[in-house]
Amino acid sequence: MAGASKPRPARGEPLAWALFAAGGTVAALLLPVHAAILGIAYAAGWLPSDALSYERILDLVGHPIVKAYLGVLLVLPLFHWGHRFRFILHHQFGIHGARGVVAGLCYGIALAGTAIAIFILVRI
Amino acid sequence: MREELRRPGYLPPMPRTWWLRTGPYRRFAAREFTSLFVLAFTIVLLLFLLALSRGRDAYESFLGWLDSAGAMALFAAILAAGLYHTITWLRLSGHVQVVRLGHRTAPRDAVTAAMVAVWLVVSGAVAYVHIWA
Amino acid sequence: MAERRIELHVSRYRPDRAPTPYVESYEVPYDDDTVVLDALNAIKDETDGSLSFRWSCRMGVCGSCGMMVNGEPRLSCAAFLRDLAPGPVTVAPLRYFPVVRDLVVDMEDFLEKLREVRPWLIREDEARDEPGAHRQTPAQADAYRQFSMCINCMLCYSACPVYGQDPEFIGPAAIALAHRYDMDSRDQGRDERRAVLGRDVGVWACTFVGECSEVCPKNVDPAAAIQRSKLDLAMRGWRAVWPLGRRP
Repeated sequence: MAGASKPRPARGEPLAWALFAAGGTVAALLLPVHAAILGIAYAAGWLPSDALSYERILDLVGHPIVKAYLGVLLVLPLFHWGHRFRFILHHQFGIHGARGVVAGLCYGIALAGTAIAIFILVRI
Repeated sequence: MREELRRPGYLPPMPRTWWLRTGPYRRFAAREFTSLFVLAFTIVLLLFLLALSRGRDAYESFLGWLDSAGAMALFAAILAAGLYHTITWLRLSGHVQVVRLGHRTAPRDAVTAAMVAVWLVVSGAVAYVHIWA
Repeated sequence: MAERRIELHVSRYRPDRAPTPYVESYEVPYDDDTVVLDALNAIKDETDGSLSFRWSCRMGVCGSCGMMVNGEPRLSCAAFLRDLAPGPVTVAPLRYFPVVRDLVVDMEDFLEKLREVRPWLIREDEARDEPGAHRQTPAQADAYRQFSMCINCMLCYSACPVYGQDPEFIGPAAIALAHRYDMDSRDQGRDERRAVLGRDVGVWACTFVGECSEVCPKNVDPAAAIQRSKLDLAMRGWRAVWPLGRRP
């Protein structure tokens, strides 16, 4: 993209953008409530005393639907970050990777995070 | 880059700090930077679930960290960034999503309002399951 | 009534005299109806005949008089001095385009991109709904109407930081016009335009800053056209860029 004199077909872009858009929607709809509960409400003492107890949360996360939900919540925003960060590096900091190195790194981290998320969820 | 195009005329290079120079550009950059806090949230959530998978002691020690001032500060930043992402994302979705009503289209603000309603309902449902179910 | 006056700081570029642009100040009278274009014409008529700038209709439909007014892309015929008072008002050529002289920029890059997206009805056949005419319902006309309002004024390119950094980017107006024809029920050229829009310098270079739609004087909303094109291409998947293989 940067300095390229010949426009190239962008074979991976439709998928990258689709994941970015899906991840952005997931983050937009779900991040605030989770951050508020885990990060503010708990420490402020606004939650019922057993809301985050080990037994209760373990039981909750054990449900396959909840696990699937957590999978979506963990994975899609990672690709949202990866795509946006790639363009932040390019546009705000002038870091252009030759032949998609930067893009590869960003999506690679997202993929690594995906693998970690699946590994952890399977273990619970 | 402009030199390659061999166009006549004077064109100064774009300053590196272009995104700090106007209000709209600064707000755009702030919006983009919220993605870093999205990543931070994902990492914290992964650590939460990792602690859960390791057993009671690990999990309760994680809850202890959640009680700390450092954690609250981090989550305050994550929540602020998350909310900025949410309001900008829902507002922009009015540009992207075309909603046909018969042979007319819904105005952009109506689409945004509908998305906000969806956000509130979904957040409520998640809160219910997370806290009380 | 005392005559109101305002100062204009106008960017001049005279490559025969100096290698870089410089600013010249002029003071002009104005009233409630005076726009920046009027001021420039007054300067040219009465003070400095060498000042060069483009204009035509002076009523916001031809798209000729785009320039930077107080750092924002504006049509100079639509920027009222009463709103910019007390001034001073800075007038500069459209950002991100090479300046040829004073307030005149080279438009060739934009025109090339416009040609690339084939902004005309593309038909595979000569069939018509009735002799010499297509038929179109009001709903079908509504589907593309707003995107047809583009007057090619290039303000959106001056607002777009992606175009500023990567001048190979096709840009907002070109994509909006491609979308206008893609959404026209009479058009059969969507796949051809998809191949153009689906390149890395097509829609995928856009990061939805949104300033293009903010500055558009005709409410075309090019940002919407770009995001909808991304959605269209994403839904069609990888197949969308396949037509690049064959020469149209």
